Amino acid sequence: MATEGLTIFGKTVFDTLFIDYRIMVIAAIISIILFIVGMYIQLEKWGRGIPEGATKPYGAWGALKMIISKIFEKGIGHALEVLILDVAFQRRTYRRRKLEWFMHILIFWGWIGLLILTIVAAAAEFAGPFLFNQDHTYFVGVWKSLELPNNIFGYMLVLGIIIAIARRLFSTGKDVQARNADIDWILILGLLIVVVTGFYAQALRGDVARNLIEAYPPGLFNNLTVMFHEVFTLLFCVAYLPFSKYFHMITAPLTILVNHGGE
Amino acid sequence: MAKEKPSINTVNFTAAQLMEFDACTRCGECVKYCPTYDARDKNQDIEPRDKIQKWKDFMNKSYGLKARLFGPEKIPPEEIKKFTDDLYNCTTCGMCGTVCPAGINTIELWESTRANLVKHGTGPYGKQSLFPKLIEEGHNPYLKQQKDRLAWMTPDIKIAEKSDIAYFIGCTAGYNQQVLGVSTARILNKLNVPFMALGEEEWCCGSALIRTGQQHINDTPKKAAIHNVEALKARGAKRVIFACAGCFRAAKIDWPRAYGKALPFEAIHMSQFLAEQLEAGKIKWEKSLDKTVTYHDPCHLGRHVGVFEEPRKVIKSMPGIKLVEMKRNRKEQRCCGAGGGVKAGIPDLALGVAKARMNDAKETGAEAVISTCPFCRRNLLDGRDDLKMDMRMDDLVVLTAHLMGLSTDVKPPAPGAPKESISDLFRTQTIPPKLAEPPKEAPKAEKK
Repeated sequence: MATEGLTIFGKTVFDTLFIDYRIMVIAAIISIILFIVGMYIQLEKWGRGIPEGATKPYGAWGALKMIISKIFEKGIGHALEVLILDVAFQRRTYRRRKLEWFMHILIFWGWIGLLILTIVAAAAEFAGPFLFNQDHTYFVGVWKSLELPNNIFGYMLVLGIIIAIARRLFSTGKDVQARNADIDWILILGLLIVVVTGFYAQALRGDVARNLIEAYPPGLFNNLTVMFHEVFTLLFCVAYLPFSKYFHMITAPLTILVNHGGE
Repeated sequence: MAKEKPSINTVNFTAAQLMEFDACTRCGECVKYCPTYDARDKNQDIEPRDKIQKWKDFMNKSYGLKARLFGPEKIPPEEIKKFTDDLYNCTTCGMCGTVCPAGINTIELWESTRANLVKHGTGPYGKQSLFPKLIEEGHNPYLKQQKDRLAWMTPDIKIAEKSDIAYFIGCTAGYNQQVLGVSTARILNKLNVPFMALGEEEWCCGSALIRTGQQHINDTPKKAAIHNVEALKARGAKRVIFACAGCFRAAKIDWPRAYGKALPFEAIHMSQFLAEQLEAGKIKWEKSLDKTVTYHDPCHLGRHVGVFEEPRKVIKSMPGIKLVEMKRNRKEQRCCGAGGGVKAGIPDLALGVAKARMNDAKETGAEAVISTCPFCRRNLLDGRDDLKMDMRMDDLVVLTAHLMGLSTDVKPPAPGAPKESISDLFRTQTIPPKLAEPPKEAPKAEKK
């Protein structure tokens, strides 16, 4: 018996990951809409700038245009160099703060890696029935092949979070003990919830990979923790991003690019 | 009911700058290096991080999601005033931007925020508000006469009427630090480099107005920049030498913006010119000086423009001189404390930072501090005097002139002339004490 799932345009999306796809699709759509709205609000806020000599604000799209043109002001080659060295490998942090760099690289790449793998898995789940006319076994195959990188990125994220928590608990430096630093705890603990529930979900899914999918009956809430993990991750890491300190994941790289590496 | 208007506005900011407020990760790297935060006993209100956070909060209260849904949240005027005062407790040295992992261009950000607050009516700070009137009307911030621009000249100095090399003297060297004017001019004369100076035609570079966010007032710095550029062009200048780091920074960065295109001449700092002459074998040292010196990088020459090695190259070539570095040098130097309008507006803060820098110098075991900016020179002298430290402080051109066998003497100083008008390193002159003012007559008792 194949698992039942959401039927879209006559095709079935299988409930292979102990989640109910109806809820997942709704949560994903809401999260993406909130993310886009949040981004637009921020862009519109930046677009209110009226530089010396100008008579009217840029507007949201004007701001976007200005930011993009500034990024490529010194040519595509230079922008790529900054993107690789300063954004991907965070050269500016590495030069001064080795431990923080290590922590940040673990969190950054752990986060980005898991995001990319999640997108790949989601794409495979939809591509199976819609593009390749395959049943759920296609997706299970893809998902299994992603298990190792998923583990690596997950452990990177956990290690990064542990270092971040330890720094905040034990460092007395003025740089770490910032005013209003409580907000950092929300973000760190939020990520911790994402990874802990994520590992739990993966453990269950490992079971799926080892056994036949048919052995598991479908249901609205196949597993409450797994469902919580997926929905919480979407809301916390996607919908909440433009409204939280995690917004720096977008603004800091853009700022480095706009300022040509800050040099 | 009409929606409340936001308590702040977004004038003077580019879209990218408004984005920069959202890019701060509050990592606190800037806090470790901020000279004014240190001098203010680690007051969190003036941390660069805290200032960015504060303006970000103002922006979100005025234009964020909640503001869009329910209208802007009112920010009490005293909160904006407090923020303004904290913002001006900054020398715009740019150290925060240098160390910022997000690469935020803090120098421009502080200047734009200051300009916004001046327009808002809460900036600038203290005596800084006198700059626009002084510079607009008198073309210098010191209440001096234009006709006295070259009053420091001594009979031995030759300045050409027209030349492709110009020496832009600047207000501080021209009026208050004559030793820099005479030393620079004598060096150029000795090197057989004909040069001209604008004299009465020279206007303030405008730096003080731009740094304090007052550039829009009557467009004074723009007018001054265009005037200076056109005057130099008209006199045939192809290279313009600046011995003042502040003027040099203005010419390199601010003037082209005001002029709307690249300058029609090359702007070069005197330290670069000296290094060039040294390379060409034109400088002949005639004296030796057995001294250990340390070099203070002016923010405006170093971090702002990127000139770090040329002054060191010149110092290292000097006979007898041993150069030792302060722990914080080059890109990571500690500001002298005078910039960003702080010397005029918040003198006690300027002094606090200067003392910290002089202590940095003392740690090296050096006997003298050498710099390449008259403003740093003056403030570090103040710091030294306040600490009663046994340390000499002078400009690279003064040391260079002396070792080239030239006099660094200025016209006999007037009684009570500023201490910085003569050489501190060589002390061949003294400043006569200020003449006692005649006692004021006691006011007569009013008849009832």
